[in-house]
Order: sequence, then structure tokens, then C-alpha cells
Amino acid sequence: MAIDSPVSLPLGWPRRHPGKLVLLAAVLLWLVFGAPKSPVFAALREWSPALAAGFGQNILISLLAIAIGSVLGLLVGALAVSPLWITRLPAKIWVQVFRNAPWLVLIYFTTYVFPFELHIGKSWISFPDWVKVTLGLALPASANVAEIFRGAIGSIPSTQWEAARSLAFTRAQIFRSIILPQCFKRMLPPWMNLYAVITMGTALASLVGVHDLIDTAQIASNTVNRTGFTVLIYFSVLALFFAYCYPISRFTQFLERRYAFS
Amino acid sequence: MTDLLELFVQAAAKFGLNYGFLLDAYQRGSLVNGAITTIALCAFTIVGSLLAGLALAAMLTSGRPWFARPARVFIEVTRNTPTLVQLYCAFLVLNMLLTQAVGAANPLTPFAWVVIVISLHKGAFHAEALRAGIEAVPRVTLEAASSLAFSRRQLLWNVQLPLAMRFALPSLINNLIDLVKMTAVASAIAVGDITYASIMIWTQSDNVLELMILLLAFFGLLSFVVNCVGRALEAKLRMPGYGH
Repeated sequence: MAIDSPVSLPLGWPRRHPGKLVLLAAVLLWLVFGAPKSPVFAALREWSPALAAGFGQNILISLLAIAIGSVLGLLVGALAVSPLWITRLPAKIWVQVFRNAPWLVLIYFTTYVFPFELHIGKSWISFPDWVKVTLGLALPASANVAEIFRGAIGSIPSTQWEAARSLAFTRAQIFRSIILPQCFKRMLPPWMNLYAVITMGTALASLVGVHDLIDTAQIASNTVNRTGFTVLIYFSVLALFFAYCYPISRFTQFLERRYAFS
Repeated sequence: MTDLLELFVQAAAKFGLNYGFLLDAYQRGSLVNGAITTIALCAFTIVGSLLAGLALAAMLTSGRPWFARPARVFIEVTRNTPTLVQLYCAFLVLNMLLTQAVGAANPLTPFAWVVIVISLHKGAFHAEALRAGIEAVPRVTLEAASSLAFSRRQLLWNVQLPLAMRFALPSLINNLIDLVKMTAVASAIAVGDITYASIMIWTQSDNVLELMILLLAFFGLLSFVVNCVGRALEAKLRMPGYGH
């Protein structure tokens, strides 16, 4: 009989992952007490402020790129869903070009095509490499945001449009008070996913000479020049990116599950 | 052929674009070699990534924690770290250790490392798509198959995968287009692909814009070809009653 089967509630989080927590504690204990004696870890500790600064540069680039990309992408997305083909066409071309170009090529493009300095009025303003990389990442980001926006609007059942129109709402009113509030909720998971992808894309900045995490790691591994240190530092870089992107991806999955049936 | 090229160079010159380097045999040769390398890279990695994705998806859906757990950890790590860092971890770290172990007899070239890393990276994405496809196979179909005395492997190979392939095809094609674009990363470890060839040319003769347009057109063409093949496959494998 199914009645007397015990109802199993999901365990709270500390009891659900006992193995992982013990492993984490063991690693932390070893890092605090066992590791400092070896010269490789001493070197890593010496380099960790530089690595942190490099990772800060990566995060700054990613935040700026997603901000510019979102603003631009919403504009392009708004053009793409307009009923006039003359505004739809440039938006479509923009999305096609920047979604189908490799990110690395776009980063090279913005780095080498834009000038080193800007001449505004009488003063010269320098145009540093990391800003160019940010723009290079913002271009594909905007194309993706536009697609996410278009997809979100397309996912609203068309019956809602018809119902609203029968209540004598104008097109702008339907957009503002019925469609858009639902869209933002649907856009959040893919948008966060895009942010994680952009953060990973900032790794490419090192290829055009920005002093980011990977550049710092390369300098460190060439300076210290020990096999053990090289292994350690590259895997620390991997671990740092993972530690930043994995929580975002888990949170995205959580949101997707939560919004799935609402 | 050269007449056509000259016509193109003259036409482009009217728009202020200097494609003169295409007439130079050496620079044209290095570009063509780069394009061939990129196409070879794409061909190898597409096959490799599909194999890796198949293996990972089989592990994920095997139902045995000893297979499923490592596959899950591998997929999460791969999906949440940059390809470039993975490439460096493989090429600068593992390759260094390998060279130290076996000396100059190291059989793996930079080209091989790029193929391995991108195959495994995209394999993780394929695995997720295939897993979703395998899970979308209706339970009654599986029950029907197991009542016909199919073994677990026959079930996977003859019933689940053909159906899962069709469910997963759109996202697989999407991943493959991403893969084509990702091969540009190979230039980071000096594999002579088309991006690397272009960098070599523009460092000598400051014509970045012209080469960029060429590069974007080339990658656009490659993605377009993959997309067309994908569409044709989708149409060919279409199941009656699913999709539109």
C-alpha cells in the first residue's frame, strides 16, 4: 500500500551535502595549516593581490559590457519587434552580424580599428584598451539581449494581445502595462546566463594586452618559473572563474525552475 | 581567377578599402592556408565534440552514480570556465608536464590540443542537449521496447538515441555554430588558423579593417554552411507528429 510509505521531506542544505562539506573543510584546513610550508604556495600567496586585481579588471569589464549591451540590446530589440519593416531590417542585420561573428574577432576589431585617443573639443582623451575590449564584448551582448527580448515578447500568448485590444488599449498601452512587465520576468534567466558567458568572454581580453587575470597569471608563471607553480596558478585561474560563474548558473537554474509554470 | 581578384581589388579601392594584399602571392597563400586550417579544425572538432557529447550523455543517463557523478562534475566545470583558460591549462600546463615526462617525443601538436579542448568543451554542451533529448523520449516507448527484451545498451542505441537525436538537433546545431566561432581561439596558442594568418598580415601592413571584413565574411559563411546542413538534417529526420 502506498499509504504507509514514509513521506520523505528534502533535507536542509547542510545535511544534504555532508560529503562535500567535509571535503571543503579538509581542503580549507590543509590550505591554512599544511600549505604555507611549501615554496609554491608561498609564491601563490605573494602573487594573490596581483591576481585579485586582475580578476577585478575582468569583473569590471564584464559589468560594463553587460550594462552597455543591455541598453543597446533593448533598443535594437524594440526596433526588431516594431511593425514597420524599415526599422526591423537594420535591427535584424545588427543581430545577425554580431551573433554570428566570433567574439575574439570582434575584440580584435574594436581594439585595432578604434583610435588610441579621442579628440573632444581641445583636449585629448585617451581611449584605453580595456574600454575597447568592453565595447567589443558589448556588441555581441547587445545582439543577444535583442534576441532574448524578442523571444520574451514572442513567448507571450497572442490571445493576450487580442484580449487587450478588445478592451480598447492602444498598442503602446498594451506594451507598457501588459506585455513588458511579463517580459522582464521571462528575460531574467537568459540574461543572467548571458552575463556568465560574457564574464567568461573577458578571458579573451588578455590576448589584446589588457592586464587581466590571465595576463597576470602568465607574468607570474614566467617570473617564478617553477613547474609546480605554473600548474597551480593556471588551475587557480580556472577555479576563480568557476567560483564566480557557477553560483550565477545555479541561480539561473533556480529561477528557471521557479518561473517554469507560472 | 587572378583577373577576378584584380577586379575585386579595384572595386574595393573605390570604397576606400585596400585589398592589395590579395594580389601578393605569399600573403594570399598564408590566408588560404589559414582558411584550410580553420576548416580542418572545424571538421575534426565537430566529430570529436559529437563523440564526447555522446559519451557524456550516455554516462549521465546511465543511472549509475559512479558514471553520472563524474560526468556531471566535468560538465559543470567545463560550462562555467572560459575556453581560453581551459586551453591554457591544457596547452601550457598539461603539455608542459607531458613534454617533461616524455621529452621531445611529445606527440601532441598545438593543433591536436585545440581539437581536444574544444571537443571536450562543446561535448559538455552537446551532452546537456542530448540528455534533455533522452529524457524527452516517452516512457511508454521505453516500456514497449523493454517488453520486447531489448537490453539496456540496445535500448539506448536503437530506441533512445535516434529519438533523442531528433529532439536535440536544434540545440546541437546551435552548439556547432558556436563551435565554429570558437575555433578562432586557436590563434591564442599560435595554431595557424585564419585569425592567426590575419594577425600576421595586419601587423606587417596596417590593414585591419579590410582583414576584419574578410574574417567576418569567412566565419559568417562557415556558420551559414553549418546552419544549412542542420536545416537539411532537421527536414530529413523530421518525425511525423512533432514540430512543424
